[in-house]
Amino acid sequence: MIKITNLEKIYRTEEVETVALNKLSMQVAEGEFVAVMGPSGCGKSTLLNILGLLDDPDGGSFLFNGIEVSRFNERKRADLRKRNIGFVFQSFNLIDELTVFENVELPLIYLGVSTSERKSRVEAVLDKMQIMHRRNHYPQQLSGGQQQRVAVARAVVNKPKLILADEPTGNLDSSNGNEVMQLLTDLNEQGTTIVMVTHSEHDARYSHRIIRMLDGQTVLENLMV
Amino acid sequence: MFRNYLKTAWRYLLKSKLHSILNIAGLATGMAVALLAGLWVWDELSYNSNFKHQSHLAQVMLNQTYKGETYTGETIAMPLGDALRTQYSGDFKHVSLGSWNNELIVAAGDVKLPSRGMWVQHEFPEMFTLNMVKGRRDVLKDPSFILLSQSLAKALFGKADPINKVVRIDNRLNLSVGGIYEDLPHNSSFYDVKLLLPWGNNENWLGKQTAWSNHCGVLFVQLNEGADIDKTTAKIKNVPTPHIKDFKEEIMLHPFSKLHLYTEFKNGKAVGGRIQLVHMVGVIGFFVLFLACINFMNLSTAKSGKRAKEVGVRKTVGSLRRQLIGQFLGESIFMATLAFLLSIILVQLSLPFFNDLSDKQMAIPWSWPLFWLLAAGLTLITGIVSGSYPAFYLSAFDPIKVLKGVFKAGPMASLPRKVLVVLQFTVSISLIIGTIIVFRQIQYAKSRPAGFARNGLITVPLTDDLKKHFDAIRNDLLQTGAVENMAGSSQPASHFSNNNSIDWKGKDPGLVVYYRNVNVTHDFGKTIGWQIKEGRDFSKSFPSDSGSVILNETGAKMTGLKNPVGELIKFEGKTYQIIGIVKDMLTQSPYEPMEPSIFICGGWMGIITMRIKPTIPVSDALNRIESVFKKYNQGDPLEFKFVDDEYAKKYSNEVRIGNLAAFFAILAIFISCLGLFGLASFIAEQRTKEIGIRKVLGASVFNLWKMQSKEFVGLVMTACLVAVPLAWYFLNDWLQNYQYRTSISWWIFAVTVSGVLGITLLTVSFQAIKASIANPVNSLKTE
Ligand SMILES: Nc1ncnc2c1ncn2[C@@H]1O[C@H](COP(=O)(O)OP(=O)(O)OP(=O)(O)O)[C@@H](O)[C@H]1O
Ligand SMILES: [Mg+2]
Repeated sequence: MIKITNLEKIYRTEEVETVALNKLSMQVAEGEFVAVMGPSGCGKSTLLNILGLLDDPDGGSFLFNGIEVSRFNERKRADLRKRNIGFVFQSFNLIDELTVFENVELPLIYLGVSTSERKSRVEAVLDKMQIMHRRNHYPQQLSGGQQQRVAVARAVVNKPKLILADEPTGNLDSSNGNEVMQLLTDLNEQGTTIVMVTHSEHDARYSHRIIRMLDGQTVLENLMV
Repeated sequence: MFRNYLKTAWRYLLKSKLHSILNIAGLATGMAVALLAGLWVWDELSYNSNFKHQSHLAQVMLNQTYKGETYTGETIAMPLGDALRTQYSGDFKHVSLGSWNNELIVAAGDVKLPSRGMWVQHEFPEMFTLNMVKGRRDVLKDPSFILLSQSLAKALFGKADPINKVVRIDNRLNLSVGGIYEDLPHNSSFYDVKLLLPWGNNENWLGKQTAWSNHCGVLFVQLNEGADIDKTTAKIKNVPTPHIKDFKEEIMLHPFSKLHLYTEFKNGKAVGGRIQLVHMVGVIGFFVLFLACINFMNLSTAKSGKRAKEVGVRKTVGSLRRQLIGQFLGESIFMATLAFLLSIILVQLSLPFFNDLSDKQMAIPWSWPLFWLLAAGLTLITGIVSGSYPAFYLSAFDPIKVLKGVFKAGPMASLPRKVLVVLQFTVSISLIIGTIIVFRQIQYAKSRPAGFARNGLITVPLTDDLKKHFDAIRNDLLQTGAVENMAGSSQPASHFSNNNSIDWKGKDPGLVVYYRNVNVTHDFGKTIGWQIKEGRDFSKSFPSDSGSVILNETGAKMTGLKNPVGELIKFEGKTYQIIGIVKDMLTQSPYEPMEPSIFICGGWMGIITMRIKPTIPVSDALNRIESVFKKYNQGDPLEFKFVDDEYAKKYSNEVRIGNLAAFFAILAIFISCLGLFGLASFIAEQRTKEIGIRKVLGASVFNLWKMQSKEFVGLVMTACLVAVPLAWYFLNDWLQNYQYRTSISWWIFAVTVSGVLGITLLTVSFQAIKASIANPVNSLKTE
């Protein structure tokens, strides 16, 4: 599903040039659950942003389902993104002014799904995430774990093929964290490909494979059994 | 999708109430000002549009050229009417001569009322498509009929049917009511013409004038369908020319569409007049609205940090930039719509005041589709203008940065905001300086020495009835103890309208000077309090004074005579002796140099001037005076006029400009401060944590206040630097219209600048101090 070769990303500020990704190559097959680990600043988030088509690389190739997407324009990227990719962030990133239901509904609106179908799909997802009873609450009224469940719900509501999660448990205690990991595992079992950045060896154990990064490069890949 | 946007917008609105209120209130004020300015401009532009044939109507104007100088006026000679009617019947559908709109006393039975009316030819009602409530338009063909306006008919006859009833005009002429017409609207040239008198009646003095040299009335024409005004002017231009010897006289047609807005002429061409004020009000209205839009842009971009996350999330889940732009524009259009609804209420509430200020009778045209169409356009444009910058700015956010939380508006982000604040204050400060200078000019002209005491002088018309008892009335008035002195004259001391040439020994035959000539009784000078500089005043003890004149200083200087007193002058074929020179009196334009005047003892008179005793309350004095007149004029209502009030009307145009300027200036500065207040509160909010840390580290409230206010003061100072030369340039230009004008002194700028700085500090300090005295523990806990 994902094949990147010699991917480069360089941040230039006035004083320094940071090589965030240094000729990085990797692949992710359909249906895989991959964890990306590495010390702080090694380029994990940068990689995820590029995989999620939020950012474009400075060099190298990125094949998504066999299509070269590294030179796509904003419009094409947005289109590809909204059909195929869901995001989960460490800091939830829910819109404070929208209720749980409305937050989850958002991707479907941009996909042009009809109101009635939106309602049934959002409700199904909320049900699955066991957050249905909170559908009319605002994010501030929820616990961190509940917020992250909403964020996951929002990521999966459009049935993406790929979910990118950047430290999804980073702001959660262990029991809430395990719950979220269980959700991701369930999704994976139903066929969704997942790439997750994490600092936690515990969380990484839920995945099939761990990609370890250092200074913008992959250094090791462990297969979990 | 749209519902989702609306929801987000509405909840943001509720969440940041202060900002929403500031935003909507500012925008509403701006829109209200734009609406008022728009109504005003519309009212001016639609002047006379109530006449159905407006595009074919014109007034005949006169161009008199002497020694290369062309004077344009509306007073024409009576034979011109017939000449156009008979020789150019192919060009004109209708022609009507008319008199001035005279003050008359109208009586029906016991009811007597002062009113205004014109003598007109019978085609006049047809030309001006008067809406007849009763009777026919052409009834004035019969010189025994009169047309009354609906309001006057009601005042005279109440509910009774006035048709064929008799009204008595000025106690000398009986006419039958032939018809009632609907009163003309306020923005019509004939608004205060309440009755139309038949031209053919024997009492119409104008109808008997046949001399081409006697310019005494006005002339209106209606061109034929398809006729061109300029071409027709070219055709008829020379009609009066062969009849006038002393100078070149030509006529031209001044279209009714321009009659009100173009009253200044240069070389026989309409060059301006009120239209300049119309442009000014239009531009200012637009600017004030723009100021409000700037507030909106500023607050929205300042607040952008709060919405950055929303932009980021929306983008990650697949929103296009185009969609976000649409969303934010939609939001500002939504705000503009709310503001518009509020502004309609504001306009409705302030219209009575604004009407008073601008001497108009405007109303919101509720039932007029075009108005709503324009209003919708205004709302849409306001929404788009004020939303455009924030929309492009916000939608360009990089989702990675904002979601990572590293989003921070760089120093460049606030630059456009600063430019906008400077622009706002430049406009406001210029308007304030403008207002001050307009009022200074009025004050300057008002403080000009008059040469006599205007206050305490009242006038009443000297009618034929009263003339018969002039001396008896004078005695009775003095007897009342309320009147210090009383005299008769041909014109009131508030304005001398006659203008004629005189001759004297050794006068250069090429010299043309016009003297204001006034007929007076012996006591006129003593009544108004003029000051004799040389020779003596008129006196009853000199029977020869019936052949004497007094000149004013300017008039005496004009003759070039070394010792004018005792010299002879010739006026209208008669010889008079100069017996005195009186100090110049300000009776004409307060902005022009003194004009030469000549006072003749005796002749036709139409005005009684009285000086009331300052020790007696005015109402009391008027009561006593009225009872004297009642004895001699069969109870005709008396029309008192105060000379100082009448004279003050000469400033009315400037006062109106000043009031309008003040109105707009106050609102402009209000809107600008509203914006500043919003910005300051926002910045204080943004810096709560910083302020808390600084305070923990030992900063005093004063330090913190200074830190927060410094930037705004800098911006306003910059605006001052731009506004001062700008205002100086435009106002200096405006003052050139006046020969007698105030100077633009530096203190006006100093006062304005310090005033605006004061207001700025006040506005900003409220927020700054609030943030500075807050307990830092609270602000540091939140995060
Ligand atoms: N916008 C940026 N400008 C400049 N440098 C950046 C920017 N974003 C990231 N970097 C740099 O790129 C490198 C990789 O950053 P990245 O965010 O991918 O690290 P990470 O592996 O996600 O770290 P962490 O585990 O702490 O989240 C870092 O050295 C970081 O300083
Ligand atoms: Mg990271």
